[in-house]
Amino acid sequence: MALKLWASSTANALRISCSSSRPAFPAFSIFRSFSSVIEGLKYTGSHEWVKQEGSVATVGITDHAQGHLGEVVFVELPESGAAVAKGSSFGAVESVKATSDVNSPVSGEVIEINTRLTETPGLINSSPYEDGWMIKVRPSDPSEVKSLMGSKEYTKFCEEEDAH
Amino acid sequence: MVDIVDHYICFLFQLKIHHMRLQRSLGACKFGIINYFDALKLQERLASDRKSGKILDTILSLQHPPTYTLGKRRTDHNLLVSEADLKTMGAELHYTERGGDITFHGPRQAILYPIVSLRDIGCGARNYVEGLESVMIEVASFYGVNAHAGKTGETGVWVGDRKIGAIGVRISSGITSHGLAFNIDPDLSYFKHIVPCGIPDKGVTSLKRETEMELPPDEVIHEQLIHCFAKVFRFSDIQWKTQ
Repeated sequence: MALKLWASSTANALRISCSSSRPAFPAFSIFRSFSSVIEGLKYTGSHEWVKQEGSVATVGITDHAQGHLGEVVFVELPESGAAVAKGSSFGAVESVKATSDVNSPVSGEVIEINTRLTETPGLINSSPYEDGWMIKVRPSDPSEVKSLMGSKEYTKFCEEEDAH
Repeated sequence: MVDIVDHYICFLFQLKIHHMRLQRSLGACKFGIINYFDALKLQERLASDRKSGKILDTILSLQHPPTYTLGKRRTDHNLLVSEADLKTMGAELHYTERGGDITFHGPRQAILYPIVSLRDIGCGARNYVEGLESVMIEVASFYGVNAHAGKTGETGVWVGDRKIGAIGVRISSGITSHGLAFNIDPDLSYFKHIVPCGIPDKGVTSLKRETEMELPPDEVIHEQLIHCFAKVFRFSDIQWKTQ
């Protein structure tokens, strides 16, 4: 297991081009526990997930994202009926005095928003893939999800990002 | 036993890569007192340029004329006077997209607006904000002031239960804007007209109030903040530009 860790660290290190290591504070262990990634969902490089069920796509942010944000205290969502575009911001979350835009993995029309997040924004932290879902979209182009990452790819993506 | 050796080898290798990493420069733009709206427009332009890779990570250093600002949550119940009264005082009010509650900016308060890529500095929102806190804590320590980060949910920098530094950040497409405000010696009476950062039972303070040392010109403290920022976020060098 340790040899595999060394080998994967070496591979990651060789791929590092221009990014530096972590800042000098706080001490993040090299061997931090990894965030959960769910099979069957698709993922973006900006850490949103999408679940397709028939003609409805549910969108939220990943466990990796909520861990890096800190406690979410406020969620801004669009209205039902609003249009969203793949790769563009549809709303924001606030944590630790930082608002972070959330991007939509797919284009389409918002058909439902998670109103529970107004009262209980922390659902994004405690249940990022279930109760913390953000919007449901009727996708305008079902082929858009094909270019997104699967769970294995996304797991590797997070590992590489955290190795920076 | 084999595990320990392997971990050690892994650690040594990471150390070597750390030293081999390419240079990461920080562009530092120093201004005098600039109007809040102008600074906002500048940040938007720079953030867009940073996102498209036209510019490197950049930090703006400046001060504002008397200005009250609200964050995305629009908590204007924490503004204790009317907008008309603000005008009489000669202060402006701005609604922004940053995180955080209501705050005041004014002359003699050092403002830093870093426009950086979180991915390139290896941070998420939480540890970026913690880094900003540590920048202010370190500079306060140069003047013998023992400041500390707030408890969970009270982001900012405190001396005892008095707030000396505030943070409000916006992250869009992984690029930061807005940043930190560090009280050197602003007119603290302006804070009487708000519930600062929405926390009613804590006061505000300044470096001038807390230190026993004589303070250098503000420009020196601005430069110290920038140097600490560069150190905390592991930039290899600073490229200074004065406006």
